[in-house]
Amino acid sequence: MRKIRLVLILAATAAITGAACKKVIGVDLNNAAPQIVIEGEVANVRGPFAVRISKTVDFSASNVYPPVTNADVYITDSTNGIVDHLSQANSDSGVYLARGTVGVVGHTYVLSVTVDGKQYRAVSTMPKAVFLDSVTFALNFDFNNKQEINAVVNFQDPPGPGNYYQYTEKVNGRNIPNVFVFEDRLSDGRYIEEPLFNDSAYLQKNDTLVLTMNCVDKNIYNYFFTLANVTGNNNFQTATPANPNTNITGGALGYFSAHTTQKAEIVVY
Amino acid sequence: MKKYLNRPSGPAGGRAGYIQVLTAALLLTLTGTAQTRYSVNGIVRDKASGEVLIGASISIQEIPRSGILSNAYGFYSISAPAGQYHLLISFSGYQTDTVDLPLTKNLEVPVELVTTGNQLDAVVVSATKKNENVTRPLMGVQKLTTSEIKNVPVLFGEKDVLKTIQLLPGIQFAGDGNSGFFVRGGGADQNLILLDEATVYNPSHLLGFFSTFNSDAIKDITVYKGGMPAEYGGRLSSVVDIKMNDGNNKDYHFGGGIGLISTRLNAEGPIVKDRGSFSISGRRTYADLFLKLSPDSSVSNNSLYFYDLNAKANYKLSERDRVYLSGYFGRDYLSFGNTFGIDYGNATGTARWNHVFSSRLFSNTSLIYSKYSYKIRINSNNNNIGLTSNIKDWDLKEDLQYYIDAGNKVNFGFSAIHHAIAPGILSASATSSFNSLNLQSKYSLENAAYISHEWSPTDRVHLDYGLRVSSFLALGPGAFYTYDANGNTKDSTYYSSGRVAKSYTNPEPRASLSLQLSEASSIKLAYNRNTQVLHLLSNSTSANPTDLWIPSSNNVKPGVADQGSIGFYKNAAGNRYEFSVEAYYKSLENQIDYKNGAQLIANTNVESQLLFGKGRAYGLELFVKKKVGRLTGWISYTLSRTELKIDGINQDEWYPAKQDRTHDIAIVGIYQASPKWTLSATWVYYTGNAVTFPSGKYQVDNQTAFYYTERNGYRMPAYHRMDVAATLQGKKRKKFESSWTFSIYNLYGRENAYSIVFQNDPDDPTKTQALQYALFRFVPAVTYNFKF
Repeated sequence: MRKIRLVLILAATAAITGAACKKVIGVDLNNAAPQIVIEGEVANVRGPFAVRISKTVDFSASNVYPPVTNADVYITDSTNGIVDHLSQANSDSGVYLARGTVGVVGHTYVLSVTVDGKQYRAVSTMPKAVFLDSVTFALNFDFNNKQEINAVVNFQDPPGPGNYYQYTEKVNGRNIPNVFVFEDRLSDGRYIEEPLFNDSAYLQKNDTLVLTMNCVDKNIYNYFFTLANVTGNNNFQTATPANPNTNITGGALGYFSAHTTQKAEIVVY
Repeated sequence: MKKYLNRPSGPAGGRAGYIQVLTAALLLTLTGTAQTRYSVNGIVRDKASGEVLIGASISIQEIPRSGILSNAYGFYSISAPAGQYHLLISFSGYQTDTVDLPLTKNLEVPVELVTTGNQLDAVVVSATKKNENVTRPLMGVQKLTTSEIKNVPVLFGEKDVLKTIQLLPGIQFAGDGNSGFFVRGGGADQNLILLDEATVYNPSHLLGFFSTFNSDAIKDITVYKGGMPAEYGGRLSSVVDIKMNDGNNKDYHFGGGIGLISTRLNAEGPIVKDRGSFSISGRRTYADLFLKLSPDSSVSNNSLYFYDLNAKANYKLSERDRVYLSGYFGRDYLSFGNTFGIDYGNATGTARWNHVFSSRLFSNTSLIYSKYSYKIRINSNNNNIGLTSNIKDWDLKEDLQYYIDAGNKVNFGFSAIHHAIAPGILSASATSSFNSLNLQSKYSLENAAYISHEWSPTDRVHLDYGLRVSSFLALGPGAFYTYDANGNTKDSTYYSSGRVAKSYTNPEPRASLSLQLSEASSIKLAYNRNTQVLHLLSNSTSANPTDLWIPSSNNVKPGVADQGSIGFYKNAAGNRYEFSVEAYYKSLENQIDYKNGAQLIANTNVESQLLFGKGRAYGLELFVKKKVGRLTGWISYTLSRTELKIDGINQDEWYPAKQDRTHDIAIVGIYQASPKWTLSATWVYYTGNAVTFPSGKYQVDNQTAFYYTERNGYRMPAYHRMDVAATLQGKKRKKFESSWTFSIYNLYGRENAYSIVFQNDPDDPTKTQALQYALFRFVPAVTYNFKF
């Protein structure tokens, strides 16, 4: 829904006047002091789980994000009290691994990160898993009237509101940069057949698709829902952009998610 | 409310003091009329068509300060001691008329004025001595004549009253593909748009390329940017009062126009000659017919059109009674094949009864209906979903005008509006991933009573002051929720049908004063308070047909705006040039913004998604207009600032509102090159809107994300554009007139930014880039108009 207006406006303009015009322009953007970005997860699969810590760069810089290598990182399972002190995978990678943490449905995990004396903290509770029935494919027209293949995620939403889902797609080994989230606010207890729309056709026949479905908590749904408005592949942001609603306190960007996860690997047909 | 009561002294000396002054002044003027006086009253009409003339100036030549303007129904009344007088009637574009007035008893004098030129291409406004802009106390008021609207070039050659008023100072164009407009910094939902008194909730067609007002059907448009008369209320920033044609009560006429994207037809004529008339206008666009020609079946299945219909009839029941019926219906249809479709539109109906109680007391009673609705349908895979929403109003309104004596008039009345809002009805097929849902309807009553006094204590002082008291009642049936700071439901209370869940009462003092310095110059001052109980929720950066109106409630307080303004007015060269400068300051309370990621669609707890704060706007408006001669037109310039301070946004600091623009310029020129050719051009320039751009980037979830530091800290590129038009008058025959209009929108093809998006560089994955979308380059158009 969020993309409808610009798409309609462009289509309406194109219909009436021929075509709307677009061009790359230079914009003089301010530079901001580098910010800490934390991305961490705990899942109901075998670990170790990774916490990635990096920094923001200026808009005009290359897409190379400096890792933060001097962080002190803990994950605490506050349900059973186990504390895990994470160690960096390789020195200078900025990736910290939780080897002693076990992902259990219903457990609440606390991430604590200290960088240069500043502490960042996040809490996430792993929701119940919802069984991923199947992944099928559908042909749809996108708003440019091109046919595209979309993966369709099929599952039974359990009764009771408050189920949140997040999907990722990997095609032929490549991550598809898109944010897919779904909540059962308007779909409680339904059988869900959720097509994953992309801005362009990523899926071709005979591609190998690995689809991941995560059941996430409300804060993480909120994070990804608001992240979708500010990512580099979303040309059609409509709301005034703002930093996503993070569950990390202390002023860092990013998220910490305890979730259940399921994968389906399938050849596109 | 509380805040206001606690204030030691308001701009008018506090509320209680203000009411005392008002009462005292009224008593004074009412008791001062106990001498033998007679009055003359009547209706002012166009001689040829019988259309009533709104705002014609009527005065008794021998009595200073006796001047008055005909009201919305052409009615006037003047009282004077018995005597032999002359009645002087003048109106822009018409020959001034003088009538002998032997005032020895109460008289009814109907007036018919003759136009100065032929109406179809009259650009030359008559040189009658017109200095009302100087003498009247009203300030912040802009009026456009149909001939001005007719000759100003517009997109696709589709004459458009709402687009044309945006060329006036203080009224800001919201941008290409956006029908919204901003008045003195107010939001697009803060404009009360009335069509024959009925509120039009969505004034746009085709996502804002056109307004809902078919100019064939429009007689008069008046915009109040400040100093609103007390009879208007309900919106914070402006009133756009649009009146439809009554129809020719002498002969039948037909007219129409054929343009590149639409066709218009209209018919008018007497129901019974000189007793009643009707007028019907319709138009339909056919941009989608081009789509049908496309060989690509996926394109030819799309549709994109709108139509609208205006109809009005009036009938004189007796010398003292006249009834009017008017209606509007319009709808837009947009769809992409069978997958997605939306249709939306307004319907309004107004039934009015004019009654002349006495030659001094004029009454109008109106029963008004207004509805806006939209319907979305989505068919994809298993999903077959319909989402509808509507707002329905019934309004009973009474307006009375009591003409006490020369320079002394009282207006009073009331209005009671019942709002019923169905925020969303979702119907889903059995196989759908969604549940059917019927969000609870919201009912409310918006009542108001007002009294105001127009008074000229001396020749040089004109005063218009009054009080409007508005009350709002949120009604059951329905549950009313309270929320904690995180937006979680704390509590809910159910109110049964008709029970009051929450009420607000707001006094709204209004006052304007003009001090005439000379025959051709004056200073004016105005203060007014407005309140707004309905709020349009839209968390996208531009208006959508699916934006949702919600009433005030226990969580959402009515918006309050206080505006003070001062102006200097001067006419030069025998009133051929008008010059004005106005400065204003406006403060806004209870303004709404949205939490990041707010869910506004089909959300029972939509009120938990809102943030509240305040606003302030101030500015300076310059306006120069040349009213007569072969070259007419105006230059308007606005220097302004508009800021918001919302709890939870921008670290609770003031930030520029989207519509904050430092400079706004419009230049309009209309040149009568020959009796056949009329040329016109407009040029507009404005500072780019305030916009939020990133100040950095990072990687999360294998994607580039942008980092934001402040709200609206950047500017879109400045917008400027020139449009030109030429109208060729066809050979005039006795019964048939026609004209061709050729126009080019955006003559020099400036690619004005519609939006700027930030994205990964598709050609270089190590980089990001900014991409600008523009909607138009040149848009030529041709229109053929005819009338017989």
